[in-house]
Amino acid sequence: MLITLLVFLPLFGFLVNGAIALGSKADSKHPPAVLTGAIATLAMAGSFVLALVLNAKLRALGGEPMAIEESLFSWIRLGTHSVDFGFRFDRLSAAFTLVITGVGSLIHLYSIGYMSHDSGVARYFAYLNLFCFMMLNLVLGQTLPHVFLGWEGVGLASYLLIGFWFRDGEKVRAGQKAFVMNRIGDLGFLLAMFVGFHAVGTLDAVALGQSVMAPKLAMLFGVLIFLACTGKSAQLPLFTWLPDAMAGPTPVSALIHAATMVTSGVYLLARLQPVIAGSPATIALIGGVGAATALIAAILACFQSDIKKILAYSTISQLGFMFAACGVGAFESGVFHVMTHAFFKALLFLGAGSVIHALSGNQDIFRMGGLRKSLPFTFWTFSAGWAAILGLPPFSGFFSKDEIIHDALVSRHGSLVLSGVLLFSALLTAFYMTRLYVLVFFGDSRLSAKEKAHVHESPFVMTIPLMVLAGASLAGGWFGAPVELASYEKAVRAPASAHTLVMVLSVAAALIGAFVARARYSRNTDSEPVLDPFRIDRFYGQVFGRGVYRLSDAIGRVLEETLVQGFLRGTAAIVDLSGNLIRTVQTGSAQTYLLMMVLAVAAVVSWIFFGVTGYGKF
Amino acid sequence: MESSSSLSFLLTVPLMGALISLLVPKASQRLYAIFGSVLFLGLTVYETASLLFCKSAEEAARLAIEHRLDWVPDLGLSLSLRLDSVSVWFVVLNALVAVLAFSTRGIWYRKSPGLFTGLGFFLLFALNAAFLSNDLIAFYLAYESVFIPMIFMVGIWGVRQKAASVFRFFLMSFFGSILMLVSIFYLVREGAVSGAGYSSHLSDLIRVASGLGPERSAWVFLGFFLAFAIKVPLVPFHGWLKDVYTNAPVPATIWMSAILSKLGVFGMIRFVVPMFQGVILEHQAVLLSLAAISVVYAAFLAIRSSSPKTLLAYSSISHLGFVMMGVFSMKQAGASAAILLSAGHTLASGLLFFLLAQVEERQEGLDLNTAHGLAGRYPVLFTTMFLAVLASVSLPGTMNFAGEFLVLLEAYPSSALWTAVAGAGVVLGAVYMLRFYQQLGLGSPGSSGNGASGSAEAAGTGDLSGLDLILVIGLMGMILAGGFQTAIFLKGN
Amino acid sequence: MIAFEPWMMLVVSVLIFCIGLFGLIVRKNLLVMLMCVELMLNGANLSFVAFSKMHQLIEGHLSVLFVMTVAAAESAVGLGLVIALFRTLRTVDSDQIQLLRD
Repeated sequence: MLITLLVFLPLFGFLVNGAIALGSKADSKHPPAVLTGAIATLAMAGSFVLALVLNAKLRALGGEPMAIEESLFSWIRLGTHSVDFGFRFDRLSAAFTLVITGVGSLIHLYSIGYMSHDSGVARYFAYLNLFCFMMLNLVLGQTLPHVFLGWEGVGLASYLLIGFWFRDGEKVRAGQKAFVMNRIGDLGFLLAMFVGFHAVGTLDAVALGQSVMAPKLAMLFGVLIFLACTGKSAQLPLFTWLPDAMAGPTPVSALIHAATMVTSGVYLLARLQPVIAGSPATIALIGGVGAATALIAAILACFQSDIKKILAYSTISQLGFMFAACGVGAFESGVFHVMTHAFFKALLFLGAGSVIHALSGNQDIFRMGGLRKSLPFTFWTFSAGWAAILGLPPFSGFFSKDEIIHDALVSRHGSLVLSGVLLFSALLTAFYMTRLYVLVFFGDSRLSAKEKAHVHESPFVMTIPLMVLAGASLAGGWFGAPVELASYEKAVRAPASAHTLVMVLSVAAALIGAFVARARYSRNTDSEPVLDPFRIDRFYGQVFGRGVYRLSDAIGRVLEETLVQGFLRGTAAIVDLSGNLIRTVQTGSAQTYLLMMVLAVAAVVSWIFFGVTGYGKF
Repeated sequence: MESSSSLSFLLTVPLMGALISLLVPKASQRLYAIFGSVLFLGLTVYETASLLFCKSAEEAARLAIEHRLDWVPDLGLSLSLRLDSVSVWFVVLNALVAVLAFSTRGIWYRKSPGLFTGLGFFLLFALNAAFLSNDLIAFYLAYESVFIPMIFMVGIWGVRQKAASVFRFFLMSFFGSILMLVSIFYLVREGAVSGAGYSSHLSDLIRVASGLGPERSAWVFLGFFLAFAIKVPLVPFHGWLKDVYTNAPVPATIWMSAILSKLGVFGMIRFVVPMFQGVILEHQAVLLSLAAISVVYAAFLAIRSSSPKTLLAYSSISHLGFVMMGVFSMKQAGASAAILLSAGHTLASGLLFFLLAQVEERQEGLDLNTAHGLAGRYPVLFTTMFLAVLASVSLPGTMNFAGEFLVLLEAYPSSALWTAVAGAGVVLGAVYMLRFYQQLGLGSPGSSGNGASGSAEAAGTGDLSGLDLILVIGLMGMILAGGFQTAIFLKGN
Repeated sequence: MIAFEPWMMLVVSVLIFCIGLFGLIVRKNLLVMLMCVELMLNGANLSFVAFSKMHQLIEGHLSVLFVMTVAAAESAVGLGLVIALFRTLRTVDSDQIQLLRD
């Protein structure tokens, strides 16, 4: 029952807050953020405690495979195979559940401060709880359809939260873009389930993951699953929704678009890891796409000036690292990076939120500067996040990123190119993060007078989560990867010197990037234009966005109007015409009818007498 | 449950309802219609409960009732009715849709309301007769009599070019029906020629059809197929649908999209598939492609619709394409999934049309090229509408997801390509349904258009409440409950 | 002097019938048309009588009585209808009475 309770606590919070949101009239005073926030936060904290308890239980359990299972009811029956609605808590799920509920609780707490001025606060917390409920279904679901329930559910919650301020058409469209692009990925998920079920005869996530399929089917399955991941985890080619998703409230960006939802692709790959890793082509594709995404997003991040957009591209880039790890077979390094990234990226987003909150909505890093003094808590905690994402020892990012680059070099599927690309991306990461860090916190203040007067450190309800996350960003990597996915032998064991070499190189890359950025931006604080060197988003907008509408227009005009409706109109016209022709006979004059009747009778009679029986019968 | 009593109950009570409506005073017609249909729904569920909720195929087979009524004994013709695990769903949905349709408000309750409720109850009767018949000629009679109330409803209470649209609707449907009638007569005659005597009972005709040989059975199949393909409709036989859905009064639209379309589905599952297995298997790729193209083609049409009613009409075609994929998968599980999805579509599309009518009551001149931003003003109405939209895009957890998932799963082995094409409808569905919801509910009024419509507020209508709200919540509950408790639909597997 | 033969009566009856039919088709006045109908009925009556005489059967006479009764009733109803029509339409011209046409 514990897992069920763990999953359904946030749903309970969602229902309560949803009822409050619907019950309160728009014009009356909105319910206080503290009340609704407390309900939501307590629900999450309860889940976190349950997750801790379950984790302890799991570790005490021993034996292989370690898992606690709870089946609730039979959801869908497929012949003799029943897809149960139930939960499975194993090491992999445990890692994700702890992150979701732990980081989730902190972000809920933070939101109480951040959203205190908003009139839709009950609705906000309801959505946030809904998201956590769906996310928990995603990582705890026993079967793929159950995972898919969470998978689409988080997309829904993401849509609702991106478009949270629904009176702004721009934000609503950003939400729609996210949902639709995610759905393209979801189609891959659906088709993968069909392939998997007809190949193996089960939809159980673990059983399917460890099944053996024919090589071609395994490849198809893996590629389709990866398509799903590119949507949800914002990888090439479906990554363009994530920067737009920053339209939502900042804590949402921290929770959904940094710490949890976007990493569900990594979860899915790790969950299905043996069968995915069994197909060399799939895994090469994953590695290549991951590394390319890491590089391209890092480049794009260097050209942004919106603090949240920089962090968004940074998230895409870091997700690229995780997929690159999966793509060389080092799934546990990927999961490890998911965890450390959840800590430091949530921290960075929340820190950015604290800055935005202090500046009443200003997000342009070129109009900040010198905030070190006025926002001391935010500054110190943000520094921890900055150090972690750069990968400076002993911060958590150092361990996980180092693992990934090392694995990319020495793994059976790795290569020098792959690790080189990742190393260069790490250098760029250091560059854009230091650019942001310097421009926001150092140098002279470039705030407007009004902002200067208003600027204030955030309340404790917001700084406490920052401090906890800062601690996690520091220490999160000390204990190594949270799970061992031992079933796949990943690497040709390399000499220990390779590890040292990678370590030195990655720290050096981080330092180089940081120093270049510092040299450039400590003096040069003039606004830079936002560049889009690859124009991927615009390309999509032209080809797919407008293309779909054009195609729809074309189909509507040519096929529908001309052919289908034309055919129908033509048929109707023929019927009409023949009706009109025959109608002329109906003069309405009784005598004409009579005449016709007489003539007809005469015709029939003469036909009977002279036609059928011949002349002269009578 | 007494064998024939529940069958005659399902037919006589709606007829009595139609007769009583002649006696009810004008002012209380709506109350009478809602009360009567709710009562009938309750009784229907009560009468069929054991069949409805039983969990195994064996039990369902044991509980099935068949009743044979001599009609023209000299010719060996009889009317035979059958209530089993297939028809029971359609019968219950039929009663449910009547409640929804009767709960609407509008001109039909002001201009000769007695006629409206009478026609409504007669429609209920005719549909039940069609869903219950296990005999082709009886089915044909009921199938045709469904037209009568429909045509009157559109003709009397419709808007704009109602005459032209109802004419096209009649023309195309009747064209199909006539072909079906020819096919039926052919089969009956073949049966008589072979010495078995005249019979139009399904079991006899299955035997006749299986002995026809591939060439002739393909032609006979075509007669049936066209009739139902027009009824459902499948692209390219959908030409009649847009205008008549758009111009019909709301209850008629609800009836057409929610249950009349299912008449085609029912006909396919009940009659066509068992009679023409060989033909369908031979041409399965073509049939699946038609279904998949319907899904995508209608979705593309929906994307650009400027009228919300038209958009929902096209979305209906798109979803029924999925249903037909399940039917043409030629598997027991596929057919069960098609019924499940049909039920989901009935609830979701009925609900959407109902809620859209509620929105139109509050604001006239809805146009999807303008943002109306009504969600802030009517939060409850739009929350429920959003949930219906989610069901329509088949979010997991709803009946529509379970149905769509199973349909595609079963169709996949027959044709991976067309499954993937139909799957693209999932993505397109999200595009147009979100557009539908966003343009009505979200954004600021008049922000992306001329803003003329933003100011016109109907007086005296508040948020969704009272009976309407209870009804909507009930339907939402059913969509969710059916989404998780799928076993009762899938007992046939 | 030609002896009377029953077939001569038949010729007369056909003549009367045809005059009635011709008048019914050609004349526009409803009253005249009604009279023409009566003529046709009587033509038919005459043929009944003729055949009755030819075949020495009593049924022909019976039919005549029957037809005459019906004709009387019919002309009563017909005249009533004509009067009603005249009251509403102020005309008894059959060309002007085309209510069913549109």
